[in-house]
Amino acid sequence: MDTYVQIDPTQKLDPFKAVKKIPLEEYFTSGHRTCQGCESALVMKMMAKAAGPRTIVLGSTGCMYVANTTYYSTSWVLPWMHTQLGSSGSAALGTAAALKALMRKGKMKQEPINVIAFCGDGGGADMGVGAISATLTHPDYNCLILMYDNESYANTDIQLSGSTPWGANTTFSSPGKVKRIMHRRWKKNMAGMMAAGHPTCRYVSTVCMSYGLAAMNSMRKALAIGGPTFIHSLDPCPKGWDYDPYISHELGELAVNTGIWPLYEVEDGVLRLTGRTQQIAAKKIQRQPVRDYLLKQGRFAHFTNDDIDYFQSKIDEMWEKWLVPGVIPFRTEVEADAPPA
Amino acid sequence: MGRLFAIEIIYRGIFQKTLATRISRAIVIAAHHEGKMGISFGRYGDSPERNGIPAKNFAIVATDEQTLEEGMAKYEPKEVDVTLCVDDTLCKGVESWAWYGLQPVNKLLKPGGTLIVTSREGPEAIIAMAHRKETPYQLSILKGTVSFSGLWVYKDDHTDVRLLGAIAKVLPDLFSLQSVQKAIIDEWKDELKATSAAKSYERTSSITVQPNQGNPEVPYKFDLPKWHEMGEGIAIPSIPAGHKMDDPTSHAQGGFQPDRNPTFKKFSTRTMRPVVNFDTCIKCTLCWLQCPDSCFDVTPEGLYDANMQACCGCGVCEAVCPVKECVTMVNETEFKDNSSQWEDWRKDKDGYKVWLQEKIKSHPERSHGFRYRGQYEEQIPEMLEIASEK
Amino acid sequence: MAVATVIEEQKHNIEETALITGSEAIAVACKLADVDVITAYPIRPYDTVMQYVCKLVANGEMDCEYIVAEGEHSQFEIVKHASACGARVFCGSSGVGWMYAMEALTVTPALRIPMIAMVGNRALDDPGAFGVEHNDALAVRDLGWQLVWVDNVQEALDTALIAYRVAEDRRIFLPCAISCDGAFLTHSQAMVKIPSQEKVNEFLPPYDRGDLLLHPDNPITVAPQGNEDWVMEIRRQNYAAMERAYGVIKEAYADFERIFGRSYGNPFFEEYMTDDADIVLLGMGTLSISVKVAIRQMRKEGKRVGFVRMRWFRPFAAEELAKSLQRFAAIGVIDRDYSFGSPYLGGVLAGEVRHALYPGPGKKPPVVDFICGLGGREVTVPDVQKMAESVYKAADGKAQPLTQWIGLRE
Repeated sequence: MDTYVQIDPTQKLDPFKAVKKIPLEEYFTSGHRTCQGCESALVMKMMAKAAGPRTIVLGSTGCMYVANTTYYSTSWVLPWMHTQLGSSGSAALGTAAALKALMRKGKMKQEPINVIAFCGDGGGADMGVGAISATLTHPDYNCLILMYDNESYANTDIQLSGSTPWGANTTFSSPGKVKRIMHRRWKKNMAGMMAAGHPTCRYVSTVCMSYGLAAMNSMRKALAIGGPTFIHSLDPCPKGWDYDPYISHELGELAVNTGIWPLYEVEDGVLRLTGRTQQIAAKKIQRQPVRDYLLKQGRFAHFTNDDIDYFQSKIDEMWEKWLVPGVIPFRTEVEADAPPA
Repeated sequence: MGRLFAIEIIYRGIFQKTLATRISRAIVIAAHHEGKMGISFGRYGDSPERNGIPAKNFAIVATDEQTLEEGMAKYEPKEVDVTLCVDDTLCKGVESWAWYGLQPVNKLLKPGGTLIVTSREGPEAIIAMAHRKETPYQLSILKGTVSFSGLWVYKDDHTDVRLLGAIAKVLPDLFSLQSVQKAIIDEWKDELKATSAAKSYERTSSITVQPNQGNPEVPYKFDLPKWHEMGEGIAIPSIPAGHKMDDPTSHAQGGFQPDRNPTFKKFSTRTMRPVVNFDTCIKCTLCWLQCPDSCFDVTPEGLYDANMQACCGCGVCEAVCPVKECVTMVNETEFKDNSSQWEDWRKDKDGYKVWLQEKIKSHPERSHGFRYRGQYEEQIPEMLEIASEK
Repeated sequence: MAVATVIEEQKHNIEETALITGSEAIAVACKLADVDVITAYPIRPYDTVMQYVCKLVANGEMDCEYIVAEGEHSQFEIVKHASACGARVFCGSSGVGWMYAMEALTVTPALRIPMIAMVGNRALDDPGAFGVEHNDALAVRDLGWQLVWVDNVQEALDTALIAYRVAEDRRIFLPCAISCDGAFLTHSQAMVKIPSQEKVNEFLPPYDRGDLLLHPDNPITVAPQGNEDWVMEIRRQNYAAMERAYGVIKEAYADFERIFGRSYGNPFFEEYMTDDADIVLLGMGTLSISVKVAIRQMRKEGKRVGFVRMRWFRPFAAEELAKSLQRFAAIGVIDRDYSFGSPYLGGVLAGEVRHALYPGPGKKPPVVDFICGLGGREVTVPDVQKMAESVYKAADGKAQPLTQWIGLRE
């Protein structure tokens, strides 16, 4: 009888060697109703391209559901199905389980089909974290859970999520006459949590669409490695962050270059910093001040210099005090935390 | 039965959400000063708004409560006295978030009603963009740079109060300038803004647009199917995969053109469009790869042609392009159709070069909102200056 | 080898008997139906079905993906998605567990997913009681779930097979919950006939999702967001499917009788000693046992009392039921549920029965409602006699409280 994990074969998805080797075909196409300069829509496009045509996509409630697919209209070429806000983990698991059972029992043609479930930060870091965590403990189902993080419930009117950065203006944390900083929680470290908490999960990474080729290759690796995997993408959001869509791409670069958004992958338990983050860690390039990033966004327009300094100090801590810099917030000694009054 | 007034504000989602809300609120408050009653609301179907995607606000005012209820009994007004269009590029048509088809900007205007447009253009350009209407209507232009800002930081360039002053002029039965000024003081406690409204009142004039004037094109429509004609299980077919492109001169096949959503085209979201210099393109792929709307068709020779049915004008392609003026965002008012730039270039390269240079001259004129702290403070004086030019 | 095959075939053609619980009977039905994906999460009393499924899988008697979820919401979402990809699925829950899955329960019929779920009926928290109440399953009565109550182990097994047949019919594609009273049915064993695999195969065709299959060979977009231009039309489609379910259920029971040789008579409700009855009691689930015993005793005293046991609550066979109930002088509805603040403060079932009677032609006998057996409290024979007395008085034109609590310490 079966006593071991039974992993079905996955598709062979070698990395795209260069931007010019990226296939021309689009599997997520025009005519979605996202904002101008929506980087999350770019995640969908790159994800579909990276995965290719033999893929099923499940989308939990959020911008990439509501804006991409308004009934009778769709921008998906791939088969796509809605799932509930907290259900990306369950949707991936259920779909993968069905394919596995039906193929094993001869009820469906045997073939590796990519299963991707995406969620926003609301669906992922808040409501769906339990289900994602559960799915990452099931080693025998091939699926990718991709969290596109635009740092608020941008679809419902920009309310703060567990992934909203400290101090940001949202409709649930708008500054007032007495309280300037209404959001006093630090952003959840989802990728680090998923990697550290799920020892049999074979691949976790962080990506940003400003580095599109690297992001797509990370997705391909996540789909090809076998078992459940998790990718966390940081997506500048012109609507919620309040900036000119023209600078969407630049803000993604700034998030990485300021050290706010570290790029890394954890493959079979081995941590590898990637891209610009690797260069920052190796001190080949300097981190840019967070001010360069914060002052370009209306959501931080109420920040005082003290607020900016505090933000900077927390990012410095990530790189200078964390035992695994940028990834795991364990320290060797207690640090004082003194947010501005 | 008393009299019912309806004002519609057509605006760019998010960028002008605060502006539109401020205007429709102030309309109701100004009318209140004259003993009229009213409501102010955003069209729920446009919510949640997206950056740039057209949206609508309404103010309904009546001389008595029962007449107001007549107005409120409709989900949204079927006809309006005044349409405020706070971005001139919206005159090309409104395909709102939940709307199937393209709605002419003047669609809801009563015969003889007034379309007020904020623009730096003259009436010819506005009339050329707006679709033809069966009945004559009035056109009034509020001269100025179109006001764009984001959700958290409002660019207070007086566009709101100048429009309120203009309404008092074109629809004096609704409210007087004095009531508008009272409402401005109520809402914003700002004497300077009250003065701006008065100046705008004085300068506002309108011209008549006749049924034979305007864009003759029939805007595309969509008929809603019956319940038993729709597939079960809330399922619809996905978009087909796409196909190779056809060169209009050599008839060579190659590249790739994605199939696109046939029911939502997104081009009415655009306030600027990229113009591409195919002669200097180095085929780096970045515009194509980084476009969130997959709007670039890949031509047989490996160039990238922004498809104007799909482009929403975000400007990311210009931002990522490493070659100077290879991709340039140009004000949408400069264009009359959605034809393929690449096809035009293939047919007449020299002619295209002349056309391209002429288009690039009008760049840059627009701003899509917040780029850095302090930017609005720099822009407002200039905008107010333009506004004060006769 | 050849000999072994022959023996195997014979074994399959023989209808076995076994001493099993209601939960185990449903697990056996899942095995016979060759279910592909099953999800489990612990909550009493339904979870006994999953304990048995686990054994069947571990012993190699059943080939399915058996997934232990991290909560009922995920449990139901996982099988919902598996079903969308063409897998035959099973899951279930009880009490507040069922309520925890409510979001998933809501979307399942809207997506036209033929999920079969067992509800081991249990009182809702608080207090955390394990005993039976029907409010859990009834909470989805308006959403497009087909709801059926059974009262014995054999019926549990047979109804599970029938539920797959009906739910997966392309004309229907709606989920179905099989309600089994906690403890009385989930935990007590009875001798049942287990049908042969061949007969089950004859009765139950493979699940074919057709044009709704989510697969790269059939690229569709499922459940885009819909605005006010679409929602009414989409709801109307589900209305039509539930309307059709009535006829499809009749077909399935007729085929069941033909293939397995076991008849349930009227699929929607069972009538007991109604032919000559003056009055009837009406209820759902295992309280039928005490009612039947009480009726037999009352008949010895010359009281002609009958009983109607509702099986299918959704679809609700209103016309048929009204026609039947109009024969009696008065009706007593036994509600093992509550609906606080409802019309006349009655239970859910009484409200439905009154509703069924109202539009029909002919006489409208008085309906008295009895709330009893909540939280698994025993419904005793004297309780039933007390109810019958009140119904007799109502039949005689003596005013009775429209809603009465029976078996309550007063």
